Amino acid sequence: MDAYADPRTDAELLAAVADGDRDAMSVLYGRHAPWLVLRLSRRCADPSIVDETVQDTFLAVWRSAGKYTGQGEVAAWMWGIGVRRLIDTLRRQPVATVVLTEPTRTEISAEEQVLLGVEYGDLAGALHTLSPELHAVVQATVLDGLTTREASRLLGIPPGTVKTRMMRARAALREELV
Amino acid sequence: MTTAPGSWHLDSALVRRYVDAATDAVTAASVEAHLLRCAECRRSIAAGTVDSASVARRSAIWTDVVDRLDAPRVGLLERVLRRIGVRDGDARLLAATPSLQLSWLASLLLALGFAVAAARGRDTAGALFLLVAPLLPVAGVAAAYGADVDPAYELSMAAPYRATRLLLLRSVSVLVASLGLAGAAALALPASGWSQAAWLLPALGLSVTTLALSTRLSPALAAAGVSLTWVSVVVRLLQLDRTADIAGASTQLSFLVLIVAATAVLAVRRDQFDTRSAA
Repeated sequence: MDAYADPRTDAELLAAVADGDRDAMSVLYGRHAPWLVLRLSRRCADPSIVDETVQDTFLAVWRSAGKYTGQGEVAAWMWGIGVRRLIDTLRRQPVATVVLTEPTRTEISAEEQVLLGVEYGDLAGALHTLSPELHAVVQATVLDGLTTREASRLLGIPPGTVKTRMMRARAALREELV
Repeated sequence: MTTAPGSWHLDSALVRRYVDAATDAVTAASVEAHLLRCAECRRSIAAGTVDSASVARRSAIWTDVVDRLDAPRVGLLERVLRRIGVRDGDARLLAATPSLQLSWLASLLLALGFAVAAARGRDTAGALFLLVAPLLPVAGVAAAYGADVDPAYELSMAAPYRATRLLLLRSVSVLVASLGLAGAAALALPASGWSQAAWLLPALGLSVTTLALSTRLSPALAAAGVSLTWVSVVVRLLQLDRTADIAGASTQLSFLVLIVAATAVLAVRRDQFDTRSAA
């Protein structure tokens, strides 16, 4: 793992990228491309769209590295760019070719139950009770940090539907958790 | 969150399942939230995706990123042309036209501005405008293509691309741009009606004649000859105080004939642009 042999932190690398350091850029790519490809692949099933999005993301990182304020994780900043690039790319595609990934499995092993219990408390169990449609909205808005409008583009449903599903999800979660 | 960040990490089994997309949605969300703030687990994910397909995919994306970092930034004109559906190659060739550069169009506007100001200052029915307006597209067409003005001329001669096509593509764009600007300037003329449009046919006629002559002469020489002829004719009419004749039906008709004749010459001799060596 060459990218992790570099002693600089992500923020330091990003500062070097802002000064036009191509090597720092390649180290950042080595560190962040793997998870970014995987996570985007979970939002969009078409590998060519994911590849294009990853490209666009790192180009945007190169061009706007100077705008990173130093607050928050570099990875979170990159994900913010990446998921919006994905929405932009999806918008350029004819609707018919866009395939969104469905949740693959709803079963959960005992081991995961423990892991999730540690991480999220009762929330994990409550999230499991949501339908895939409601869960997709929670994922886009709460976990991916998208606005209603952006979530509606990513999921291919009207903004009003995002809002009503979010309300229903919130009500369902409240019921489960109280 | 019931535990402090940093005390929970992805174990290798979970990494494997996440990489294989075998986790359910909630677990995946949990992993993704964690990955954003844990470099250690991002490293585990990277270590879990070193199969040749993943590595090849990432290096292909990186190659494309580097390519696009190296590519020169596309100019405004080229972006607009691509947006309205012009092919990438044609857009690049058009954007490189010397007489479509901002500096050229700015000087064109300046010349038109002076002509309009002169026409408004003295009541000469826009004779100066009539003199200048047809010359601008002629100059633009002459400066659109050729060994003297085009830095890429040698390249374009060697390229498997018809010189005629390039010439016509550029000439038409230059004509549209300069006639559009002249037309806009004509609206500011004090005179109204037909005389405002009297320059249009001469402008087209002189431009096409310049192109037709370019099949034999160098574009600069052709433009100079055409311009001198036009200037001497208009100056003579000015001396005789008969500039209104230009707007007359017979003059306009003869320019229409000139356009047709010059277009015919151009059509017959168009191959000259491809076979003629650098003039």
